Amino acid sequence: MREAISVPYFGASLKEWLFTTDHKKIGILYLSTAYIFFLVAGFFGLIIRFEQTSPGIQLVQPDFYNYLLTGHGAVLLLWWAIASHIGGFGNFLLPLMIGAKDVAFPRLNALSWWAFFGASVLVLLTLIPGNHIKMMWTGYPPYSASGDAGVTALYVFIIHLVGVSSIATAVNFITTYIKMRAPGINFWNTNMFVHCLIAANVIQLVGVPSLAGAVTMLLLDKYLGTNFYNPAKGGDPLLYQNVFWFYSHPVVYVQILPVFGFFSEIVPTFARRPLFGYKSMIFAVWGITLLSFEVWIHHMFVSGVPDWARVIMSYTTILIAVPTGIKIFNWIGTLHGGAIILRSPMLYALGGIFMFLIGGLTGIPNAMVAIDLGISDSLFIVGHFHYVLGMALTLGLFGAIIYWFPKMTGKMYPENLGKVSFWLTFIGANLFYFFQMVVGMLGNPRRYPDYPPIPEWVTLHNIQTVGALILGLGVLVFTIGILKGLFAGEKAPDNPWQSQSLEWQIPSPAPVDNFGEEHPKVEPDYHPYKYGAPPVF
Amino acid sequence: MEQVLAFPAKWWNEAVTVWLVVAVVIYVVVAVPGLYFIMKYRFKPGEREIGDHEKHGHWGLEALWTIVPTIIVLVLATYSFAIFKKQRTAPPDAMTIKVTGFMWGWQAEYLDEKGNTIKTVVTTFNPTGYEVPDDQKIVVPAGKPVKALLTSLDVIHSFYVMPARITEDMVPGRITHLWFQINKPGEYWIFCREFCGTGHSHMFTKLKVVPPEQFTLWLKGETNLANKSNQIKGNL
Ligand code: HEM
Ligand SMILES: [Cu+2]
Ligand SMILES: [Cu+2]
Repeated sequence: MREAISVPYFGASLKEWLFTTDHKKIGILYLSTAYIFFLVAGFFGLIIRFEQTSPGIQLVQPDFYNYLLTGHGAVLLLWWAIASHIGGFGNFLLPLMIGAKDVAFPRLNALSWWAFFGASVLVLLTLIPGNHIKMMWTGYPPYSASGDAGVTALYVFIIHLVGVSSIATAVNFITTYIKMRAPGINFWNTNMFVHCLIAANVIQLVGVPSLAGAVTMLLLDKYLGTNFYNPAKGGDPLLYQNVFWFYSHPVVYVQILPVFGFFSEIVPTFARRPLFGYKSMIFAVWGITLLSFEVWIHHMFVSGVPDWARVIMSYTTILIAVPTGIKIFNWIGTLHGGAIILRSPMLYALGGIFMFLIGGLTGIPNAMVAIDLGISDSLFIVGHFHYVLGMALTLGLFGAIIYWFPKMTGKMYPENLGKVSFWLTFIGANLFYFFQMVVGMLGNPRRYPDYPPIPEWVTLHNIQTVGALILGLGVLVFTIGILKGLFAGEKAPDNPWQSQSLEWQIPSPAPVDNFGEEHPKVEPDYHPYKYGAPPVF
Repeated sequence: MEQVLAFPAKWWNEAVTVWLVVAVVIYVVVAVPGLYFIMKYRFKPGEREIGDHEKHGHWGLEALWTIVPTIIVLVLATYSFAIFKKQRTAPPDAMTIKVTGFMWGWQAEYLDEKGNTIKTVVTTFNPTGYEVPDDQKIVVPAGKPVKALLTSLDVIHSFYVMPARITEDMVPGRITHLWFQINKPGEYWIFCREFCGTGHSHMFTKLKVVPPEQFTLWLKGETNLANKSNQIKGNL
């Protein structure tokens, strides 16, 4: 093994950062931007949460509330739930895991990042009072085509820029995986994270143009007088919903698949044994990918579409539970017979898996069309997807940040802050999201800054706010941990977790030129989860 | 026998119960072994340092946890389909009302046998409170199925009849529908659950369920219903 070079790759000059085409630097740029946006949009969420604590309008007027909620939803979905792991971890890890020097098209990769950066600037522009967008991240017309909705054009351009970035990244990653693998890396010994990442990018490639089309028609309707969605002139508002959800449902798998990847990397490492059912995991990933485009009507179960369409997509939706279940069973199977080390990345991964189980089981009533007619657009839905996004995904990302922190920075994330932040986040989030589901089951509609003083609702909202405060504290501690690790962290060994995977076989932080030569030498019996030998700590 | 409060809420409640039982059972079946493994197979220096690295999977087990969940979800979906048919098909003796949403309120129209409007209730936007003036409540008879035809004048709204646990969007340019039946007289919430702008959380009204004879009087324009029907009963 080579010596770490004296200047770590991220200790580059500002100029180098600005003009970089290095996949690792681009990954870090994505990840840090996504994290900062996560903090801001999470703060928006806290304000929304406080407003709902008791009936009446206390903190923010409804219009501003609607802006905060639009920002919260859009930014967390696009920045935190997509850009952090595709742009961030995807860029950083994909070439390292398959033993490549960089991605296939490094300059296109830089273009992706700059398009995404442009979108980030547009998001900041919406903070200016006259630029607020108030139509929710779903932006349904005719409302979004009305003057009341705020600056729809900004929203459309944000989607376009993020879309350009996503499509370019998808082309890049898929090509990289197909053409740039080190000799010896094949379909059956590729890291699960890479399998999930590629599947997610296939969805991006197929789906993003559909979303871009939906919002482009919206732009034309609102500013140039076309009538795609205008019923008075023969248009149809449901056209938007169909085209919108054709991508925006599959996108939830873009968001969660890479997190499944994180779980599948972290759990075997800390259970010191191979991933159980590796092959069925791969089938499950592609099963989910295929099915994901056949289910979008479940977002429109009460929208007025024909009953037969609702029934068909009720079946396809509920079938997704099967491959999803397979993944959970396989993670649990990996624990069986392991030698489990509960370091903080493992805590985060296990917490994420157990919460994803709840997220999955509470997804079933949304798929059962008969139940959905009673809970559609209620806070139950919001509680359900916070279990998936606010817990499984967020815990998974936090775990991944701690896990790959040494390879990215050359420092260790402070273990004690990792544990404390885990328990705070986990307990707070459960208190919050569980009771969000309960109040939704009782009938509380979503996107309501105010609600009638029904006693049970008020109690349930109070509990949620307590939970959100604890959750906020957890995120704060986690963030302090990042800063402490960066500036005062212990120096990281090359392979602190004794992993078999390729990215750990090079110095920490990863050297500028990855493996030195074009490809590392891959042993014929290489497998990322071949945990045969005892770890040396 | 306990009286059923509302349809289709009765079936909805049953479906929720079925789901909840299945979900809790699955949760226990998966989470308990998971937690047990975490306790039992702990790393111990010198004693348990490597995991079982021979077992990469087990086709029998993997087939089992593919097939059993497939059966469970298909049964659940079919069960839900059966209820869905009842939720979407109003009984033949249902009376029809037309409800139109607008920013931010509702207009409910009552029809005679020929389909002409004989009475209209319009709610006004109240951005601060949740009180509903008596003449802005949507009145329906107890124990009678009501089919609501829905549409909207401006943006998409929705019509959520809370006691009946049923929602349907109100889409401009389309007529959508739902039906419900409330058996117990009283006042119940109606909310808009599709985001429709500034006043969304104050787009609400009350559903006032009254005995059928009072409903007939109300349709004729009587306002003090309880008083009037007592009077009639007294006269008899
Ligand atoms: C930091 C902790 C968080 C807090 C305090 C929080 C709070 C909230 C609240 C109060 C709502 C509004 C519910 C309603 O009345 O409709 C909401 C909606 C939402 N949240 Fe969060 N949330 C958090 C984390 C997240 C995360 C991590 C994600 C995604 C990755 C997320 C995605 C969303 C989305 C998509 C909506 C729906 C927005 C809409 O209705 O258009 N949230 N959140
Ligand atoms: Cu409305
Ligand atoms: Cu509304």
